[in-house]
Amino acid sequence: MSEPTVADGRPMIEVEGLGIRYRRNRRGRRSFKDLLAGNLRRKRPDEFWALRDVSFTVRAGEAIGVVGRNGQGKSTLLKLVAEVQLPDEGFVRVNGGVAPLIEITGGFVDDLSVRDNVYLTAGLHGMSKGEIDEAFDEIIDFAGVGDFVDTPYKHLSSGMKVRIAFSVMSRVEEPVLLVDEVLAVGDKGFREKCYARIEQMLAEGRTLFFVSHSERDLRRFCTRGLYLDKGRLLLDGPIDDVVARYNADQA
Amino acid sequence: MTAAPPARTPRSPFARYRHSLWLLTQRDLRVRYTTSVLGYLWSILDPLMMSAIYWFVFTVVVKRDVGEDPYIVFLLCGLLPWMWFSGSINDSTRAFLKDAKLVRSTKLPRSVWVLRVAASKGIEFLLSIPVLAAFAIAFGVLDPETGLTLHWTALLWIPAIILQAVLIVGLGLIVAPVVVFFRDLERAVKLVMRFMFYATPIVYSFALLPQSLHLLASFNPLAGIFSLYRSAFFPQELDWLTVGIGAAMSFAILGIGVLVFRKSERAVLKEL
Repeated sequence: MSEPTVADGRPMIEVEGLGIRYRRNRRGRRSFKDLLAGNLRRKRPDEFWALRDVSFTVRAGEAIGVVGRNGQGKSTLLKLVAEVQLPDEGFVRVNGGVAPLIEITGGFVDDLSVRDNVYLTAGLHGMSKGEIDEAFDEIIDFAGVGDFVDTPYKHLSSGMKVRIAFSVMSRVEEPVLLVDEVLAVGDKGFREKCYARIEQMLAEGRTLFFVSHSERDLRRFCTRGLYLDKGRLLLDGPIDDVVARYNADQA
Repeated sequence: MTAAPPARTPRSPFARYRHSLWLLTQRDLRVRYTTSVLGYLWSILDPLMMSAIYWFVFTVVVKRDVGEDPYIVFLLCGLLPWMWFSGSINDSTRAFLKDAKLVRSTKLPRSVWVLRVAASKGIEFLLSIPVLAAFAIAFGVLDPETGLTLHWTALLWIPAIILQAVLIVGLGLIVAPVVVFFRDLERAVKLVMRFMFYATPIVYSFALLPQSLHLLASFNPLAGIFSLYRSAFFPQELDWLTVGIGAAMSFAILGIGVLVFRKSERAVLKEL
């Protein structure tokens, strides 16, 4: 993680033959055999492949947009890249740390103050105490919650919660940034601030992996697109081509 | 293209693991202590209350020797570690569920969720030791008639704590993922724990069990571990065979735990 993450074209994310399956019926009967089945390749009748045979390589500094209709595996792909889900087939290799903006408020504890929460979440994503001390004022400033530093997290408005969470996660200095449609929340002013921050990070040479339904956002940030349909990678190409193909399929 | 983002301080995976474990443990303790005014007091009040009850039953009502004298010291030597054990196992049932959102969004070695339970309860246990010390001093120093002294075997607290940690982590690694699939087990675990409380020599001495049950009872690793704790004040409680079997059991359980955990990790993540 110490080496510079300049956009020198070395592979940052390598995905090879990726596949993951889920149960169709979450309330289905379970047995100990299921639990310990591990990565047996056998597919049981009530399971489906959420993703299969997905392969691609992302090079440092690239900005990838993932498109596809709801339920076609976009978020699953993001979670696999973030390594918070483990594949049943194939592998994901990420060369360097990842800052996942997935369920960003998930790590925050209601009963603790904003200050404690910032230290906790940033720490869990690998920042040392010294680094957080340094970034703390900026984090609070960016989120605009200066008056609430010692307020229990649960007393913040839901908008503030997301703002503080984004603010922390965007300070986690990892070379790969994963963004799930989190930015659809918050007011317009803050959203613009987030976008500016993402652009700044891209300019610093970070690699972006972006899931969105917004054509405008995709075109704004991304250079390359991945089009997922029924868990398969349908198209991997320049973002304009991918968006065009997606729109054509929708029509 | 452009400048690199500021370089991060490199950290080994192990250092990172330790750092995360410490943060989560701290968080658990902080939540427990900031949400209740009496914080620390609650964590020692529970064993004190229970000690008071058993002391009353066995020394005032029944007047029968079930352990060593002074009974309250004997009792606390088993009860305090028991609180660590039962608290950890009960909390392990919710190790993933309680923090599902965090588990789903943060890439940490998954075993950290189990270890932090054992760690935060373990720290509470360590913090409760002064209570035992206070009683020991009260009886040993202020009341010389009891003849209570600290023996060299007090050093055995170190292996006892290590063995107990091994046992707790091992069981936690089994319980935590399994409960994600079979939620009912959360209740079953509570029931088993209640049974275990009486099946383990806590309110009574191991020696009081019928001879025919000794070997069987030794397979409860807690029997050996608690005999180590007790030997600090009551060397006659030490039974090396029981300790040996208990140690072997603890490590065997840890081994099984690691296997179960590894095998089920993928499925647990999907289920959360």
